Amino acid sequence: MLSIKEISKSFTQRGLVLDNLCLEVNERETIAIMGPSGSGKTTLMNIIGLLDKPDSGTISFRGSSITDFTEEQSADYRNHNVGFVFQDHLLIPYLTVSENVFLPLLATEHSQEEIALKEQNSKSLMEKTGIYNLRDKYPFNISGGEAQRVALVRALVNNPSILLADEPTGSLDAKNAENMGSLLLEMNRDYGITIIMATHSFDLAKKMSKILRLEEGKLNILNEQ
Amino acid sequence: MPSIFQIILKSIKFYKKQIFYQVFIIVLLCAVITGSLLTGKSVKESLKKSASDHLGNTDILISSGIRYFDPELVKRLKDSTDLKCTGVLEINGFSQSMNSQKKAFNTHIFGVSSDFFAFQGFDTFSVKPGEVAINKKLADYLGIKPGEDLIIRFPRISAIPADAPFAPTIDGGNSIVLKVGIILEPSHIGNFSLSISQITPMNIFMNLSDIDDSHGGSNKINRLLINNKNANSLKSASESLKHYLEISDIGLKLRNIEKTGEIELTSDRIFIDGSILKEITSLIPESAPVLTYLGNRFVDGRKYNPYSFVSALPSSLYPGICTGNGMIINSWMANDLSAKVGDTIKMFWYSPDSLNKLIEKNSPFIIRSIVEMKGIWSDSLLMPDFPGISGKESCSDWDAGVPIKMSEIRAKDEDYWNRYRGTPKAFISYEKGNELLGNNFGPATSLRYPAGLSRTEIENRLNGSLNPEKMGFIMSDLSDESIKAANESVDFGSLFLSLGFFLILASFVLLSFATSSYFDLKRKSVKTLFSLGFKNSRIAKLLLLEAGVISLAGCSIGAFLGYLADILITRALNTVWTGAVQTNTLYSYFDLKSIIFGFVLTFLTILVFMFLKVRIYLKELNPKKKKGYVSHSTRLNLFLLITSAVVTISLFVLSMVFSDQQILFSFSSGTLLLLTLVLLWRQYFIRRITRGSDRMHNRNELSRLYYSFNPSNAVTPILFIAAGIFTVVITGANRMNNNDKQLRRSGGTGGYLLWCENTIPVKQDLNTESGRKTMGLDDNQLSELHFVQIKKTSGNDASCLNLNHITAPPLLGIDPEDFIAKKSFSFSKMLSSKEIKNPWQYLNLEPQNNIIYGIADQTVLEWGLKLKTGDTLVLKAENGRPLHIIIAGGLQTSVFQGNVLIGKENFTKYYPSVSGSQVLLVDGNRALIDLYQNVLNDRLENYSVNIEKTADRLASFHEVTNTYLSVFGVFGALGMIIGVAGLGFVLLRNYNQRKQEFAIMLAAGFRMKGIRRMILSEQVLILIAGVTSGLVSALLATSSSIKNSPDIPWFVIGLMVAAILITGLIALSLSVRSITKNSLITILKTE
Repeated sequence: MLSIKEISKSFTQRGLVLDNLCLEVNERETIAIMGPSGSGKTTLMNIIGLLDKPDSGTISFRGSSITDFTEEQSADYRNHNVGFVFQDHLLIPYLTVSENVFLPLLATEHSQEEIALKEQNSKSLMEKTGIYNLRDKYPFNISGGEAQRVALVRALVNNPSILLADEPTGSLDAKNAENMGSLLLEMNRDYGITIIMATHSFDLAKKMSKILRLEEGKLNILNEQ
Repeated sequence: MPSIFQIILKSIKFYKKQIFYQVFIIVLLCAVITGSLLTGKSVKESLKKSASDHLGNTDILISSGIRYFDPELVKRLKDSTDLKCTGVLEINGFSQSMNSQKKAFNTHIFGVSSDFFAFQGFDTFSVKPGEVAINKKLADYLGIKPGEDLIIRFPRISAIPADAPFAPTIDGGNSIVLKVGIILEPSHIGNFSLSISQITPMNIFMNLSDIDDSHGGSNKINRLLINNKNANSLKSASESLKHYLEISDIGLKLRNIEKTGEIELTSDRIFIDGSILKEITSLIPESAPVLTYLGNRFVDGRKYNPYSFVSALPSSLYPGICTGNGMIINSWMANDLSAKVGDTIKMFWYSPDSLNKLIEKNSPFIIRSIVEMKGIWSDSLLMPDFPGISGKESCSDWDAGVPIKMSEIRAKDEDYWNRYRGTPKAFISYEKGNELLGNNFGPATSLRYPAGLSRTEIENRLNGSLNPEKMGFIMSDLSDESIKAANESVDFGSLFLSLGFFLILASFVLLSFATSSYFDLKRKSVKTLFSLGFKNSRIAKLLLLEAGVISLAGCSIGAFLGYLADILITRALNTVWTGAVQTNTLYSYFDLKSIIFGFVLTFLTILVFMFLKVRIYLKELNPKKKKGYVSHSTRLNLFLLITSAVVTISLFVLSMVFSDQQILFSFSSGTLLLLTLVLLWRQYFIRRITRGSDRMHNRNELSRLYYSFNPSNAVTPILFIAAGIFTVVITGANRMNNNDKQLRRSGGTGGYLLWCENTIPVKQDLNTESGRKTMGLDDNQLSELHFVQIKKTSGNDASCLNLNHITAPPLLGIDPEDFIAKKSFSFSKMLSSKEIKNPWQYLNLEPQNNIIYGIADQTVLEWGLKLKTGDTLVLKAENGRPLHIIIAGGLQTSVFQGNVLIGKENFTKYYPSVSGSQVLLVDGNRALIDLYQNVLNDRLENYSVNIEKTADRLASFHEVTNTYLSVFGVFGALGMIIGVAGLGFVLLRNYNQRKQEFAIMLAAGFRMKGIRRMILSEQVLILIAGVTSGLVSALLATSSSIKNSPDIPWFVIGLMVAAILITGLIALSLSVRSITKNSLITILKTE
């Protein structure tokens, strides 16, 4: 599904972060990427989400190269194929829960039928994740765990193929972290979403089908189920 | 370990771009403040220089006012003292180029002697008889060159006041044609002037010998210029003048009276002024006043004797004179009237009334004695030397200055004249004579001294002892007074600080935005300091120290750029804004004191501003402060909105109904409309979007939702822009203009049509049939013409056209009855009194101890004279006595601007030598105004009349105010442009505050271009909302002015609005461009 070949990325202040890194991701696969702080996990996630570009190397999605996508193509790619979840839920404070969830629908034009379908899916997702009752509340009126679930539903509103989760439990307590991990797997199982997750939590990583370690710019397999 | 200072420098280096913005704004702020202060200094210094250029080497001026003195006095002073001096005759006149026919009214004419230019330091210049030197301004104005002929007209020079009884009739003035010899540059004393004004005069320098004395006497002068600049110069000049002043200098002369052996002192003014008489009597107590007068008729029963002289004699010299209404007549009259002792004789005579108009009076006398025509009773020298009577061969040749019915003069009267000349036929006591015949011109026609007192002794006792001030001389240290007037002139420093208020305010707003943006960037660093245990005070100190370094840099550059601003403003004042200063001679003055003051003032102000900013910032950062979004009440806003809208509409309706209060109502409705529109925008932003679903339908809704929680982020810039545009437009549209209101009776024209100023006084009463006939104004078409004839003294123009502080303005002698009857003009301020309701009535009050009442334009009082209602203005009367004028009222801007108005009777009393009228205020049928102007121009041509429509005269005063409004408008627009440029900062601040949202949008597949467009469209909406709200409200506020003024500078206003819009759009575009994708991605990173 996703093929990353020999990508490198360096920053002026940090030097070389990714060094001829390669990664093959299959459909419905769940991958955890671990590594010390500053090892380049977020950089790799941003490159996969086309928020950032590698200095060299290629990235293919479902057999087509996406390395040289223009900014507009990158945005479309993200909108249709990628969902993002971050350590901080990054909910917009002046939008209600449902408005936050439906925010990605504004990024591009959709037909009425598409919107109706996506609204229906989102509602069921909201119900499934237990946030439907919170739909009219504002982010500052809900808990951290609830906010992160809202962020997850928002990431899935466009039925993406890949969910990129960057430390999704980093700011949650143990119980909520556990719930979040289960929810991610449920999404993978029920909707067939490929999950690529950067995390420091080995407990969460263990739930993924593959655990990779990013060190000195390269990925090494730690565990594979 | 780095020091605090090192940390600050590193921070400045790191945030150099943001710091640059702050420094730039501070530079601008300091340049505006310092520039304004320097402009104030430059104007003052320019006024001083202009005064110095005008005066040349003149330090002290000794003036005889409207009287004249003998140039011999100057010669004597020069020869006997070390005073460097010269004498000139200064008069106002009219000039016309023979070739171009172009005329110049209010030409300053100086009759100069050969030493004038040498006195001024130009030995090689001279004015030959038959030639004139003129200054460049006049030459340019008339388009005249050396060698061409110049027609000059000026009032006749005569020691005898024209209105004095028995003064010979003088119609018109002198008119001569002279060749232009040289054209004097300003550097060659061409702009010589003894007036305190920055306005360059139009000067003619004539040889004194070309200015004839009307009565064939020697050429007189009226100004003595002294070049003597030392601490005691005025005192020593005054002492020298007293020491060398002789009676002949002021037209007094002694003659021997053979018949009595007495010595007599007479004046070439015919009547001896009361104060001179008093001074002479105090020096020679033996002085005995005599008053001889021409009686029209002496009637005894059915017989009468025409045109005979009567003498009022002092009992000290004429012990036989009777008291009270007793009269001695000579035998000739007794025979003529067949009168005998005990008979009652009625004497008729012409006497000047309180306005110097001759009216016939009469009084009965009882004949106490009949004397033979010999000895003291046959003294022909008792008759003063009346120029129109003395020396005439027959009575029919008399030019007596009073109406003489020649038909009544009989052969025996001619015979008496041939044999006895003006020997009086009747004698009364001096006391009775003074009571009946004394007048404004003096209480005596001569002073007589007993036979024992020699001519030499009298001369010795008077010469060198007369007090010059009591003789009518006014001494002033003109050089010092000019400097003082310049120092106390209109303070352009404060004026430009006020005019630049919007610019300063905008700079502060911009600085606030820039600092907030900068503080936003530093948020993390400051939070780090908090977490490291730094106390608030310590962090505040750090931030303030940093602000101090930034301000220091900005102020240092700004203070010196202030000089550049001064150069630009001064240049503008000399050119496009010359209406405010009426000169093009201002220069920019480098004043280190002003620069330092501007620097310190700006620096301290910014430090205070930064202190407040830091406090607010740290308060907001306080972790204890709960952050959250608060929704705003739409109900309250809606209530306010509806209330405001209802009041706006009501006021608008009122403005349509009450036309007399239209300006007030329309301005109020416009102001409230501004509030209504701002509330409307607030309502738009805070209102939650109601829709049938949970999702948003477009990106605009996203912005709306943001502002519904943060309405101030949108409403504050809208309010700022709208208020700015409102101010700029109303300033432009509310230029002072002559709308219908000004042309009404209550307006500044008083409802009068024309203002005429004539160099040669008009003596006729133009409201009488005979006066009209004489002047050729008796056409039927002119039947509605009515004149208010006004007397005027010379003085320094105190109108807003003169920037100097004026202490001696021109006086206008006015009969206010016409104004009272027509309810003309309006008062801004007036003295409160239970008895006097109408301030004009104060002018009619009789003097009490030389205290009278006056009225002036309120602007003249405030700016020119620096007085207020109830204050006293002290001027010198014609005879040198102080005249105290209590200001009874301040007029709203009127055609009288620049002058102080006093009652005509009081004017005549204190300035009797001012004859006729110099100003005519013309009333009539407005439809015939052009006809009136043409006819008066024609009929009064010989009087060198300058006629202008009262509306035009008022407009010339409004030009100053309008120029100030233009300056304010330009500064306001500049301030707005700068303020609008600050929208860029507002955009960046909003962006920084919402970075997270935009980052997540980017992650959700929004395009960067779309995000930028969204941010930009929000701010463009704010910009347009502000501009339209301000514009619409201002148009409503000024709707009454718009209706009444054809000359609203729409193009300039449009240009300013366009400049504001374009600047805003450019600033927003540039700011939105600086938003990069990378800055958003950083937000998403958690590593």
